[in-house]
Amino acid sequence: MLEIRGLRTGYGAIEVVHGIDLDVNEGECVALIGANGAGKSSTLKTICGLLPARDGQIRFDGHDITNRKGHAIVQAGITMCPEGRQVFPGMSVMQNLRLGAYARKGADIEEMLDMFPILRERAGQAAGTLSGGEQEMLAIARALMSRPRLCIFDEPSLGLAPKIVAEVAQTIARIKAMGMTILLVEQNSLMALRLADRAYLFEAGEIVLEGTGTELQTHPEVVKAYLGH
Amino acid sequence: MTEILQQIINGIAIGGVYVLIALGLTIVFGILGIAHFAHGSVSMFGGYLTFFLVAQQGYPLILAILVALVVGMVLGVLIELLAYRPVRNANHINAFIVALGLTMMVEGINLQFFGAEQVVIPTDAGRVFSIGGVTLPELRLYVILAAAALILAMTIFVEKTKTGQAIRAVAENRDAAILMGINVQMIPLIVFAISTALGVAAGVMVGSLFAIAPGVGEGLVVKGFAVLILGGLGSIPGAVVGGIVLGVTEALAAGFISSAYKDVIAFVVMIAVLLLRPQGLMGRA
Repeated sequence: MLEIRGLRTGYGAIEVVHGIDLDVNEGECVALIGANGAGKSSTLKTICGLLPARDGQIRFDGHDITNRKGHAIVQAGITMCPEGRQVFPGMSVMQNLRLGAYARKGADIEEMLDMFPILRERAGQAAGTLSGGEQEMLAIARALMSRPRLCIFDEPSLGLAPKIVAEVAQTIARIKAMGMTILLVEQNSLMALRLADRAYLFEAGEIVLEGTGTELQTHPEVVKAYLGH
Repeated sequence: MTEILQQIINGIAIGGVYVLIALGLTIVFGILGIAHFAHGSVSMFGGYLTFFLVAQQGYPLILAILVALVVGMVLGVLIELLAYRPVRNANHINAFIVALGLTMMVEGINLQFFGAEQVVIPTDAGRVFSIGGVTLPELRLYVILAAAALILAMTIFVEKTKTGQAIRAVAENRDAAILMGINVQMIPLIVFAISTALGVAAGVMVGSLFAIAPGVGEGLVVKGFAVLILGGLGSIPGAVVGGIVLGVTEALAAGFISSAYKDVIAFVVMIAVLLLRPQGLMGRA
């Protein structure tokens, strides 16, 4: 579904991703793991059109979407639940959800409120007044509102309490069970590898290892550097 | 007591003009982070154009205002595309310099096309209503009603329409707005069209209540920014509250202390408010 070939990207004079190849097949959950600054989030931003690609190609459903405008990429069926949640703080939960459906006609908010009951309780409240965990749920629900075919999660557990992290992991597992294709970047490597069908290990802007989630969970290098046991 | 009421009504009329100017400035600031200094001069251009159409071309006033509003929208789009868009990703000082240059340019255009003479937009609204000793000139009533209608329309647009919500989203978080599928290249064009139309409406009000002359626009934009700071940068309710507060303060100062000192007193009140609430009346801390 998503094919990336020889992608290079970066900020200003600094290149942070040095030509990577990556695939996500339909219905799959793919995780990108690796240290901070390895280029995982930059790769996601480039897919979504927030950061220009310097070289290489990104194809979605066989169409070249490299360096298309961000809103056109959303229309093509890719959405991202961004790092740090990025809800619209002054707008209500309902307004945030409706914006999630901006790129399409109609908005079936009820369905989303059934899936995330806490958001129904908070419906009229400004998003900025929600707790971190609630904001994460809102960001996930808002991303799903666009009815994406590929849903990207950038560091969904970042800065959340351990109990909430487990909840986020369950939510992503639920979305996966619905048949959604998922690309996940996550500092919490164990959580990422448990969720993922396949995973790529990033090191300094390159992919150094690729395998199924279970394979990487037991790979000595990954265990030593990222799982810490 | 009637004197106080009288001054408050006068203050609400001029406050309505300030609100319209400040609304235009605040949505531009909210979206692009630009201090759009040329706004006052563009607003005067709208007033001049209305005067020209009514006094020299014989248009009915309403038609002249409609034409001026549409021209204002087009002008706003051109200003965004030609003046501000090229420097959007550059250092902020560049947009600042563009804003100053644009002010001089529009002032020059006004002077060239409409001359240096002071003009007053002629209206038929000459009646004066009197309610319990408080007099309300017909024209002021229309200005207050028109300002209220525009403020209401603007609020409904921003809160209830998809485009309005997109504008708010871009103001709150541009990258997240892109991820919602909002075309962030389009939004500034819409914002400038609306902002300039509101400015033109304010220009018509100033031109019919008082007069338009070179330099009036600059005075108005300074007041507009004062309202913005008073109400809280980028906040729409803040612009409304701030504008009314500034207008009423000025009118009370002019009525009870001295009209020569009304601006000084208004700014003293503004400074006092900011000492107590540095984020402005409606701003978020």
